[in-house]
Amino acid sequence: MIIRDCMKSNVVSIPSTTTILEAAAVFVKRRVGILPVVDESGKPIGVIRIGDLLTLELPDFVHLVQDLDFVHDFGAVETTRPDRQLLLQPVTTLMKPIQAIEETSGLLRAYARMLQDNLYDLPVVDASGKLVGIVSRVDIGAAVLSLWSAKEKR
Amino acid sequence: MNLAAILAAIIFLVSLALIFTETLNRTIVGVAGAVLMVLLGRILGFYSESDAVAAIDFNTLGLLLGMMILVALLEPTGFFQYLAVWAGRMSKGKPVRLLILLGTVTTLVSMFLDNVTTVVLIAPVTILISEILGINPAPLLMAEAILSDTGGVATLVGDPPNMLIGSAAGLSFLDFILYAMPVVLVSWLVALLLLRYLFRRELAVRPKKIKAVLQLNPSEALNDPKTAFRVLIVLGAAILFFFIEHLLEISPAFVALSAAALALVWVRPDVKQTLGRIEWSVLVFFAALFVMVGGLQASGALTAVIRLIEHADSLSPAFFGVLIIWIVAGLSAVVDNVPITIAMIPVILGLGADGIPTAPLWWALAFGAGFGGNGTIIGSTANIVVATLSEKTHAPITAKLWNKRGLPVMLATCAAASLLYILAYPLYLR
Repeated sequence: MIIRDCMKSNVVSIPSTTTILEAAAVFVKRRVGILPVVDESGKPIGVIRIGDLLTLELPDFVHLVQDLDFVHDFGAVETTRPDRQLLLQPVTTLMKPIQAIEETSGLLRAYARMLQDNLYDLPVVDASGKLVGIVSRVDIGAAVLSLWSAKEKR
Repeated sequence: MNLAAILAAIIFLVSLALIFTETLNRTIVGVAGAVLMVLLGRILGFYSESDAVAAIDFNTLGLLLGMMILVALLEPTGFFQYLAVWAGRMSKGKPVRLLILLGTVTTLVSMFLDNVTTVVLIAPVTILISEILGINPAPLLMAEAILSDTGGVATLVGDPPNMLIGSAAGLSFLDFILYAMPVVLVSWLVALLLLRYLFRRELAVRPKKIKAVLQLNPSEALNDPKTAFRVLIVLGAAILFFFIEHLLEISPAFVALSAAALALVWVRPDVKQTLGRIEWSVLVFFAALFVMVGGLQASGALTAVIRLIEHADSLSPAFFGVLIIWIVAGLSAVVDNVPITIAMIPVILGLGADGIPTAPLWWALAFGAGFGGNGTIIGSTANIVVATLSEKTHAPITAKLWNKRGLPVMLATCAAASLLYILAYPLYLR
């Protein structure tokens, strides 16, 4: 089995002109964790993850404190919304470089890439670099585990 | 001045300039400068390798190392966070009270422990509390850096320039408590009141979520109470011995290293991890500077400076001390105060050898080196730490903000110290 066999081929992507606020609406509506950002020709130029948007809500200071056990109520942090002005910026300001996998890759090779780079979703490209699908840890995991019972039946 | 003195002065001044412009890491500059100085000394025959080793003040290095080991043991216990969370809770969410409590806690801790470590550990909790309250953390962070740097001048172990001065001038822990602490106390209060005034607008904001701060639980921040308890007991004993160190005829370095050894035996930590937390680069930097300044002295360059000062010493001695406060403070605001202090020490020793009363000058040097750092965002390591951490918040501390709010504090503390210095001059003469 290769990645092409377990990927989702209906990829939700957004044009690079999308604002952060519009991207947030897409995340809400489609319930996805990652959105590839594409240029006019449909070529992927980067990705935006739901976590990238959440950093606007929960700033970096959480990483500064080793241990948060003593905080029982996040107080104003829970109710502070990001600046409207910031949300109207194009999504490209928060975009990260794309890390894609070829559709012909083996399952465990793709999974190892995810573990190494701490990713949960990988955009899938064909030989020409065109975006053809997206694969998550759950997709790969389920595909690998399905082989176990397949063997037992034999 | 002869050739040796001119070349040695060039090596030292170029090193200072490189440290100032941050083109190179200060420890790298120090090591390279020290080696060049010894090389020059060997070629021109004014400074041998054994002279270089003898120039290193192992008293200061031992004291630094001992205190660093104690901090390294205390750091992972959550003790610093415990104090910050406690201050947050006691403030009941009132910004002014939070400023006073956090400033006081940071100062008290950094009077005995390394203030960079203190600020590194307390500042993140400060940001967290500010975010929970929905207030601007910048005034609190700047107060922590400025007040801890100011308060550190009160004790022998409070900041590195004091350790250097204490060792060179033979001043004991008790001397610092008697001669420096009263001046520091007044200057500290001046700094606090001025910060309160300069940040009056930010501090007038009514926090949105006071209840959340009341739910903070300090004891949950203390991860390892057993180790914290042991290290604090040892630290307390060390402070006790610092007070009577001159009666027992032992050096502060010996007290600090004994305390470190005792704490290591009692806690038995993972040695690799504990020693990994020690700032070896600081120790190497100090040793390198000692070697460099030792060469500067041997070359005769400092004698030239001493002659120059002696000519200018027609002014009143008390005024001369005030001049030292301001010159050293001005230099410390823009460049590391450690090289300034290490270079000033032989100058003052030289003046003393020529019969000028130097006892008051040591205090002038300590006040200048300690308070000068408050003036700019790069004036002290603690300033750099809080500014860097604040970049992760909604209101980053900029160099411009520091010039507007920190520089007045530096000027006010130096003015307060100058005034008290003149008033107490007869006492300083002993």
